[in-house]
Amino acid sequence: MQATMSKADQRKLQKLKLKASRRDQYKRFTRSKGGNFFYTLFLILFGLFSVLPMYYCIITSFKPLDELLVFPPRFYVISPTVASYLTLPSLLDNLAVPLSRYAFNSIFVSVVTTFFHVLVGSAAAYVLAKTNIKGKTVIFAVVQMSLLYNAYTLEIPRYLIYSGLGMIDTYWAYILPMIPSSMGVFLMKQFMESNVPDALIEAAKIDGAGSFRTFWQIAMPNVKPAWLTLTLFSFRDLWSIQPGGTIFSEELKTLPFAASTIAQSGIARQGCAMAVTVIMMIPPILVYLVTQRSVTQTMSSSGIK
Amino acid sequence: MKSEENKVVKNTEQQNAPSLKEILKAEEAELKAKQKAEKLKKKQKVAYDINGKVIPDLNVKHVRGIESKKSWYGFYFVLPWIIGMVLFFIIPLINSLRYSFANVIPEEGYMQLDWVGLEHYVYLFKKDENFTTNLLGAVGDFFTSMPIVVIVSLILALILNSNFKGKTLFRGIFFVPVIVATGVVMMHLTDPFGGFGAIVQLSSSVTEDAYSAVGTSGGMDFTELLNSLELPTDITAWLSSMITDIFNTIWTCGIPVVLFIAGLQTIPAQLYEASKVEGATKWEEFWYITLPSIGQTLLLVIIFTLIELLTQTSNPVINQAYALINNTEYGISSAMLWVFFAIIGAIIGIVIFIYSKLCLKRWE
Repeated sequence: MQATMSKADQRKLQKLKLKASRRDQYKRFTRSKGGNFFYTLFLILFGLFSVLPMYYCIITSFKPLDELLVFPPRFYVISPTVASYLTLPSLLDNLAVPLSRYAFNSIFVSVVTTFFHVLVGSAAAYVLAKTNIKGKTVIFAVVQMSLLYNAYTLEIPRYLIYSGLGMIDTYWAYILPMIPSSMGVFLMKQFMESNVPDALIEAAKIDGAGSFRTFWQIAMPNVKPAWLTLTLFSFRDLWSIQPGGTIFSEELKTLPFAASTIAQSGIARQGCAMAVTVIMMIPPILVYLVTQRSVTQTMSSSGIK
Repeated sequence: MKSEENKVVKNTEQQNAPSLKEILKAEEAELKAKQKAEKLKKKQKVAYDINGKVIPDLNVKHVRGIESKKSWYGFYFVLPWIIGMVLFFIIPLINSLRYSFANVIPEEGYMQLDWVGLEHYVYLFKKDENFTTNLLGAVGDFFTSMPIVVIVSLILALILNSNFKGKTLFRGIFFVPVIVATGVVMMHLTDPFGGFGAIVQLSSSVTEDAYSAVGTSGGMDFTELLNSLELPTDITAWLSSMITDIFNTIWTCGIPVVLFIAGLQTIPAQLYEASKVEGATKWEEFWYITLPSIGQTLLLVIIFTLIELLTQTSNPVINQAYALINNTEYGISSAMLWVFFAIIGAIIGIVIFIYSKLCLKRWE
């Protein structure tokens, strides 16, 4: 009988089995109805708090002017419009530089810096995790120490270095300081230690691969989730980068700066501010969706030492 | 007798002294020649076997030892990062330490330092009343909010890690705010009327940890919303402060939740199956399997939370230091930050020590 069973039937049977096993899994959530109820309540309550600001922001960006000024603020729209989005370009006409320039600056800075940060961080992490160079422990101690320091507490002495290197008012002021950030090295090191077997590297060497080739073609593909995560975190930080005291010319400023100018134009522009915020949220979310699957995997590895 | 012998030896030494020197010289020369020959051998990139014969067909690089080669390349690999680190972290760090011992007068392109020794530190603890209260406040805040953050995120992670429909959706819900909420976006979410503080404008990096600002001002003005409900003022105040606290907690929980989930996923399923067979309750399962298994993750989360709480902008000490920087009081602010970092370091050290003594050892 089984031999004569058609392929479609076999597939159906498999599906049924799968369903049954899944149902079992879901049943193991908790053992009592009360527990289930408590869990769901907890999740929904905290989930609400988590998404509420974002939800409110998106809703507000679609509100017409008369609904914007209603007090107390509403959490719903009666007659949604895209007017706020449409007025954005005209608002930005008042700025000295076209919006596209701000967008280009932001994208350029984010992409270039993220690329070099991931590359430099991974290379350093590869050495720290997989070789025995002198001063390895010292380097790693510096990594851990610098994790403790908030960047802006060193802003003044840093500024002197920027000006000494002639980086003030150039793209370098965005890019260079962000490249040797220690978070990347830390994350990548933890991951490479457990995910790149020594035997693999030795095998590559014996097959005649150089150090760079081993790093690029053996180690990096093995820790793809890790550098994807790093890309996500790095992009997230860089996308929001604003010119501090280091950039003065208007054509070098970034999108967040333009966004904050809009926000400062008053309560009546609240809708526009929200619209620009929604637009600003999109690129990081896209990067998140692309890298999403890898994120939890990476975190597990850096968590276990 | 002995002294006579010594004399004899000395005499002979004196007599033979030039010849001895010559011998030594000759030996040295020989050694040098040998070393040179060895160097030449190395330079020639030819491999030798044990008897010193040339092995013709082997790739020389590998015979000379993978390790040495690797470490040499390793230096090149780590070099870009080291240069960056020295330029943008270590030199500024040392400079800020120097500032903390001096009166700093900004000149064009450099800082004029007038050494005052420990004066700034003494001033901070003896004269500046705000500093000690701020410091205690910051540390106290940390000790109340850290356990809450850790416990809430652990519960969330436990729930999100179990199998139920829509778990990907919920994970997204808890993780997307972490991704999205940086800088200007965060500012707009909380404060759409553009009330940017001077601190925020001064430095771009400040905005990185603006989570804490959620619900505290503008935005979805909960206080006003609550006021419109016309409840007694006490209840309104309590409610609004509680809502602010919940927001703060939730938005700090993002990364810890992800870390915990990751840790939970590495616990082998066999352990739970075994405990089920033995008839353990869920409660026992948690205390005897789950918690010991994620011991390392828990430590990591504690450190992450600690760093995040102690270095965020809303921290009173950081705020005070920033106000001082704006007044060009670089010396005192540097001293302040160094004291603060010393305390953070000490706290982290103590936490790690106690935790590993009390918990990790017992769980192993």
